[in-house]
Amino acid sequence: MKYDFLDSDLLSRLAALPVEARLPMLGNVAGKHRSPHRGSSVEFAEYRKYVAGDDTRRLDWKAYGRSDRYYIKEFEADTNLRAYFVVDTSGSMAFSGHAPAKIQFARRIAASLSYLLVNQGDAAGLSVCTDKLHLEVPPSRRPAHLDRLFSTLGKLDPSGETGLVPALHTIAEKIGQRAFIVILSDLFTDPQALGDALQHLRYRKHDVSVFHLLDPLELGFEFDRPHRFVDLEDGTSIVAEPTLIAEEYHGALREFLKTVRAKCHDANAAYQLVTTDTALEPLLRDFLMARIARAKH
Amino acid sequence: MHFLTPVLLWFTIAAAIPIAIHLLNRRRHKTIPWAAMQFLLKATRESRGKKKLRHILILTCRALALAALAFAAAKPVISGLFGWGGGKVDLVVLLLDRSASMEAKPSDGYDARREIVLKKVRDTMRDLGSARLVLIDSATLSPQEVPSPDVLPELSITGVSDTAADLPTLVGKAAEFLSETKGRAEVWIATDLQASNWHPGDSRWANARASLAALPRKPALRVLGLTGASAPNTTLRLLSAKRIGKELQLEAEVTRSDETRGATNVPLTLQLNGSRTTENLTLTGQSLHFQKRIALPADVEQGHGSLSLPGDGNPRDNVAFFAYGPERPVKSVVVAPPGEAVDYLLLAAAPPGFGGQSATRLDPSQAASLSTADTSAVIWAAPLPTGATAAAMEALLSGGGQVLFLPPAKASEDAFLETKWSAPTEAGTGKFFILKDWNHSDGLLRDGTDGSPLPAERFKAIRRQLPLGDATPLARWDDGEPFLVRRVLDRGTAWFLGSLPDYTWSNLGDADVLLPVVQRVVAAGAERFDASYLGEVGGDTARLNPGETRIRLDDFGAPDPANAAYEAGVYRLGDRVIALNRPIAEDFPEMVSRDAIDASLEGTGYTLFEQAGQAADTKLSRDIWRAFLAAMLFFLLAEALLCLPKRSTETSTERPFSPSATDH
Repeated sequence: MKYDFLDSDLLSRLAALPVEARLPMLGNVAGKHRSPHRGSSVEFAEYRKYVAGDDTRRLDWKAYGRSDRYYIKEFEADTNLRAYFVVDTSGSMAFSGHAPAKIQFARRIAASLSYLLVNQGDAAGLSVCTDKLHLEVPPSRRPAHLDRLFSTLGKLDPSGETGLVPALHTIAEKIGQRAFIVILSDLFTDPQALGDALQHLRYRKHDVSVFHLLDPLELGFEFDRPHRFVDLEDGTSIVAEPTLIAEEYHGALREFLKTVRAKCHDANAAYQLVTTDTALEPLLRDFLMARIARAKH
Repeated sequence: MHFLTPVLLWFTIAAAIPIAIHLLNRRRHKTIPWAAMQFLLKATRESRGKKKLRHILILTCRALALAALAFAAAKPVISGLFGWGGGKVDLVVLLLDRSASMEAKPSDGYDARREIVLKKVRDTMRDLGSARLVLIDSATLSPQEVPSPDVLPELSITGVSDTAADLPTLVGKAAEFLSETKGRAEVWIATDLQASNWHPGDSRWANARASLAALPRKPALRVLGLTGASAPNTTLRLLSAKRIGKELQLEAEVTRSDETRGATNVPLTLQLNGSRTTENLTLTGQSLHFQKRIALPADVEQGHGSLSLPGDGNPRDNVAFFAYGPERPVKSVVVAPPGEAVDYLLLAAAPPGFGGQSATRLDPSQAASLSTADTSAVIWAAPLPTGATAAAMEALLSGGGQVLFLPPAKASEDAFLETKWSAPTEAGTGKFFILKDWNHSDGLLRDGTDGSPLPAERFKAIRRQLPLGDATPLARWDDGEPFLVRRVLDRGTAWFLGSLPDYTWSNLGDADVLLPVVQRVVAAGAERFDASYLGEVGGDTARLNPGETRIRLDDFGAPDPANAAYEAGVYRLGDRVIALNRPIAEDFPEMVSRDAIDASLEGTGYTLFEQAGQAADTKLSRDIWRAFLAAMLFFLLAEALLCLPKRSTETSTERPFSPSATDH
């Protein structure tokens, strides 16, 4: 394929699984996702009393015959879904230990899900943030739009410090209608601020999913000799003996992950910790299956 | 501690290897770009303290393990005498207590303490390698170079002796010897810490300490104290041997060690001029004081013999030797004017029926003609002697004679041995001077050998004269004034008794007091003739005069001719025959206290190594490489334990960074 982060076999195998939204969406055209408004789909929603001005064509005459009262029969509205992939391109996303870099893993997830969404008639867009939200590809349903999106993903070059939190606030403000927002980041930022940003998104009624990307080496911290660690974001360095501080490192990391997960839960965001050596297909299949199951409830 | 192969100590440098590797490892770090910097910084901040200490401990264990291996390879030897701080020694001066008490066996062994300490010193000297050994023993007091420690227990100068030890003199001899030698020296004192040998508080200790302090290189002083329980022991001591007519009267004492309880029969063997008889003594208490009269053969004027007990914890104190000479009449002279007092005194000095005792009166005006050569005692009831007479009396006293002075019945300013009589005083009408207290264990009014006191409380006086001067009071009147005083001059004693056996003076003539007092004076005076047949090993009487030779007459035990001067026995010294026994002080079991040792050796920085028993330690030194190997294993084990990953319950039960942590 043209893009090395796309796997056509994988996409064809996953094409049978729809990308469902956990919350009702507000789209601009009819689609396969629930809308908060009543519409004309075949899915019965509820009865309500007739009020002056209602379309008489929607009166349920059978109910009138049984009760001698006027009821309007309402149906669910189906609309399309607009997905925004927020990709963190701070310097830390360039890290790769013994597995692909985190940014590469983010590309694969974003590209695969975008393809599946557009393929089922939904819109997919891209937001790239480093220290600020610096690039946006607006969502679109057109298949030709995918090429632009993939091209943008392929050109991502992680650098600088992370600006994920302000970027999420900006997105929350800019996107007026409910949307499916997928965050792809290592989340190396202040968990409290991240929680606030996620709450902001929740307030805007967006369906948020977080892919927390970490390298296996970052989790295991397994070194057999002292190393000079150079920060990928600001270039500062420190000499440390990992065997001596591994326990404290794991403790700090464990605390961080626990906090982040709690913040996501509080903000009703779907959270998934992903190491970059994970196979993509089971990861996405589980992700999609979980959303299908959630959408039916 | 010292090392048999000290060259290998260089390998202790290997202890620096783990530290060097650690430092090099820290310098040879790899550079790696890192994303999760916030956790790294936090971990680095938190890992100080305990973690760092643990890492230092691991490094220390590794270094110490290597050092212990190097030490073990260097074959360390630790000596109880040296302690840990010892180093190489060039010269060891061994001060050996060869006194009779050193022949006592510990309760857990068969060797005498002297033999035990010699073996220990021999083994220690073997370990020390090239150090010189010089021996100064308590009997000869002369330094002897010992060519090899192996021969130490075999030397005659380390053999048994019946002498007493004099520790202050020994230490002084060591200081004197060391003043002429160079190199690092140590002085080892091998002793059983018997107080009578140490003479604590003796002024000679100050001289010994000063001599040691004056040495250019101060030697280390080690006291090897052979203490601990001794095997059960019974001691036989001869107090006196006196010829009375055709009999020999032996006064002896048998003492058993404190551990023994209950009545026991002890076979006492008498050997007299080659014939041997044995009888049983029954011991019910700790000691038994007894007299034994032996009928002497009629045709033998001179002879010798021994009393002995069976072998026990100390074989050297089981025998007492005696010798006797021709019968000598016991002559006493009473110097007094005629009168009632003289009659009583003559009667008390030579009672009818007391064989061999005679007493003659000499008028004070003829006192200058008194012959003291064959006189046992003089009873002087006249003005105190002056001039040539006084000189004759002093000569008598110096030779072991006894003089009993009684009041001259008139005031006089004459003095003898700085003692004079006061003017006669009388008790008031109807009143008496009576004795208030007197010494029951010493002096002429002492209790009898069976413990019964003299009836001195019956003694009353209406007239008295007080002995004035620097003399030792042994009895006092009820008003605190002295009644009986004593002045010792060399071997003899001058007694001053403050009343007369005259009914115008007192009831002293009733014989309750006078007879035992006078007889004790006479008997003590007669001992000077018998005493010439008894002596102590190492004493003045045991020394050879110029031209004399020493020939041992008895065949008791196994005499060592090389040690004849230091062994008890009956000897012919020139034309004298003398029985030599161990000094009486050797039978005193008192040990010198630690405080007394501290005081005696103050400032010498001595170390006391107490060796209790035979089985306690076989050597004064021992190789301890095994201990260092054990230490190495300990350090390696400690290092392994410290390196074990810390078990964390949180980590094992919850791994929040597991990729399975999802929340949809």
